[in-house]
Amino acid sequence: MFNLVQLLIKLSGFLLFVLLEAICFSLVVRYNSDQEKIYTNTVNNFTGYLQQKSTTANRYFQLYDENKRLAKENAKLLDRLASVGVNVQNPLDTAWADTLQPLYTFLEAEVIRNSINQNHNYITLNKGSKDGVRPHSGLVTEDGVVGIVRKVSPNYSVAMSVLHRQVVVNARVRHKHYFGPMTWKSDNIHIFNLDNIPKDAPVTKGDTIETSGYSTMFPPGIALGVVDKMWMDPGSNFFTIEVRSFAKLSNLQHAYIVRNIFKEEREQLEQSVISEDE
Amino acid sequence: MNNIIVVNVLRFVGLLLLQGLVFKNIGVGWESFPYLHIIVFPVFILLLPLRTPKTLVIFLAFVLGLSVDFLYDTLGVHASAAVFTGFIRSFLLRVFEPRGGYNMTYSPTIARMGLGWFVQYAAILMFAHIFFYFSVEAFTFVYIADILIKTIVSFLASMVFVMIFQLLLNPLE
Repeated sequence: MFNLVQLLIKLSGFLLFVLLEAICFSLVVRYNSDQEKIYTNTVNNFTGYLQQKSTTANRYFQLYDENKRLAKENAKLLDRLASVGVNVQNPLDTAWADTLQPLYTFLEAEVIRNSINQNHNYITLNKGSKDGVRPHSGLVTEDGVVGIVRKVSPNYSVAMSVLHRQVVVNARVRHKHYFGPMTWKSDNIHIFNLDNIPKDAPVTKGDTIETSGYSTMFPPGIALGVVDKMWMDPGSNFFTIEVRSFAKLSNLQHAYIVRNIFKEEREQLEQSVISEDE
Repeated sequence: MNNIIVVNVLRFVGLLLLQGLVFKNIGVGWESFPYLHIIVFPVFILLLPLRTPKTLVIFLAFVLGLSVDFLYDTLGVHASAAVFTGFIRSFLLRVFEPRGGYNMTYSPTIARMGLGWFVQYAAILMFAHIFFYFSVEAFTFVYIADILIKTIVSFLASMVFVMIFQLLLNPLE
């Protein structure tokens, strides 16, 4: 304690000097406009510099969250790519022409009108003949089949939604290859009917239903839904199957219009055989 | 004893009035050459008796500097320079201590310490004071060249006046 007091006495001149200089400088800054300007400028520069440094450091600490966010976004984009590209990459879907083009191509379109509460529902799209859309093209999303293009104008096209009583999608049971027409007969927008599955077919509840590829509208293998209920009506040789659809028609925003490169060639051939027999 | 106090009080008042009323006008009024300020009031700090405690020296320097500031309307600028001068005075006195030591009853005047000793002592303190003053006035070392020119010119002019007064009055205390 005594040493401390001695030290303070020894340093008293210096301490007083520092104290009085501090008072002087505060007076200078407070009552002299030129010095005040310089002072505030310097302080601002300094705090600005510190702020910049701290922002940089903060950004560095946020890299982990940023990485997570980017990874999520990547996954989402990959998902999207896969859901579009799976049809292109699947060798079943792809016939290699001389031009090395895949059999099916997909054109992204925006849904600008849609309905789900009628017996005949339609979807209007913002792509038309200018973009190469033709009537009787399939309309799919990442989740499944949503409709068939009916009429095309230069800039727009109207598709019959799968929620249209006259739309028939050729479907099959995945891996089991039993096929039949899938139609919408119920009042529930998620429930479809699959007919013509013979009663000896080993189809069970939960089997996936997909497009058959027998029509030129849809590539084979697009998932449509799962078997929800199945029963046999008395006297019938066929199952009555209710399919719970994957397609989300109630919040449709984008869809892909399917284009089959060899559609005309194949249809002409098929048509010529049928007309020969008639 | 009382004589010393009276002399220093008179010197305090006299230098304050001289600085604030006479030399202030020379410095400010000489617009064609704004580098020149004549600063003589630190003589009070220089001539305080050798036995004055250093804290008292610093404190009195502060009071005088602040008084000058009131007359100059530059609150804090002269005071900070005066405090600095008061602070380094004790170091300078230790450096310039004669072989036999100081007679602590004396004041560091020409009459007591000799002309050569006083010129060195006064020159260093005056230069330090004026340099500090112009630094605070600029408040940045960006214009260090300006500060140095002002310091040197003003120092020479101020020293002339300080020496004239010392030789004319030749005070003992």
